[in-house]
Amino acid sequence: MAGVKTSRSCDATELVSAYLDGQLFPGELDVVVEHLAGCSECIAEFHQLKEIRAALRTLPNLELPERLLPDSHLGEQLSAYLDGQITTAEHEFVVAHLDTCTDCRLELHELDAARTAVRSLPGLEPPEFLEPHRQRIERERWTRRRVAAAAVGIAAVATIVVTILGPSAQQQWNLDVNELLDQHQARLSVETGIGVLPAFAPVEVAP
Amino acid sequence: MADDITPTWEDVARTYGRKIYNFAYRLTGNADDAADLVQEVLLRVRKGLESYVPGSFDGWLWRITRNAFLDGVRKQKRRPTSPLPDDDRNIIGSSPSPDEVLASVRLSEDIQSALLKVPLDFRECVVLCDVVGLTYEEISQAVAAPVGTVRSRIHRGRKMLRELLTWPV
Repeated sequence: MAGVKTSRSCDATELVSAYLDGQLFPGELDVVVEHLAGCSECIAEFHQLKEIRAALRTLPNLELPERLLPDSHLGEQLSAYLDGQITTAEHEFVVAHLDTCTDCRLELHELDAARTAVRSLPGLEPPEFLEPHRQRIERERWTRRRVAAAAVGIAAVATIVVTILGPSAQQQWNLDVNELLDQHQARLSVETGIGVLPAFAPVEVAP
Repeated sequence: MADDITPTWEDVARTYGRKIYNFAYRLTGNADDAADLVQEVLLRVRKGLESYVPGSFDGWLWRITRNAFLDGVRKQKRRPTSPLPDDDRNIIGSSPSPDEVLASVRLSEDIQSALLKVPLDFRECVVLCDVVGLTYEEISQAVAAPVGTVRSRIHRGRKMLRELLTWPV
């Protein structure tokens, strides 16, 4: 490493660090004490090493970022657990924790009750001023139901016709679907008297 | 932590998380890297505890920590990193004498910068000794080197730091 060198002029110098750390091997203490009494170089080194050691130990003890601490309780994992939204590994961990932690079991129970309560809330009635809208929505809904009923009717009648006539007559059916649709759409657009839809229009049968 | 029981990984996280974080921070000089290392170590501890045989827990844990750190360093080498400032005088700042340097308010930053210039073998021993507070024996287990080697590295590491921090202005 450029610019960093260590002087190795005195063999005992290495013992000085161990001495400062109280980490000398048995029997070495006498050697160090005796040596320090007579070697000015090692005395200077002793003071320098003592300073740097003290400086290193003044480095602040940093706090561990909180997110790295294991949550002592499951917290939001409980909700995810209720909703079946945790991974297999997490599941194992959660189940193991619930086995031993009364607090978390209680919290799970409460969360479950709250979740059920929220889910069973009745749909809210719209305020009065929205009544015209509600009526329009209701009308549209009925219309959609009629369309659906009509579609079912067409399908049913078509099936019956095919079943009855198909096999015996051995005829080729040639339905003009577009024409069929046009007829029904025209009828629906009138919007009156369509409670019972004559769903089947006369169809030309190709010879 | 008592050596005859196997702790849970949550115990390890609570008891050692901060120490591991400080070890990693002083070795890397970077909070994100340090946090990553803590997570990696805890993950390895969690897996390792399954086959852990009660013994010297500190030695076991710090060996895991150190290996995780070295793996991180190897990965890092494949990525470009921002180089450290080359001019040592800039690290020391304007304080003229060693005593004033050591007393400066930028002390810990200066020490941190200097630490990062000490070769890794020496740096890790110094940090394990002076920041984490392990004995030479425990450091020897952590870095898988004889106690005599550890002692030499701590000593030489400190001397390098001393020289780095007293670079003539």
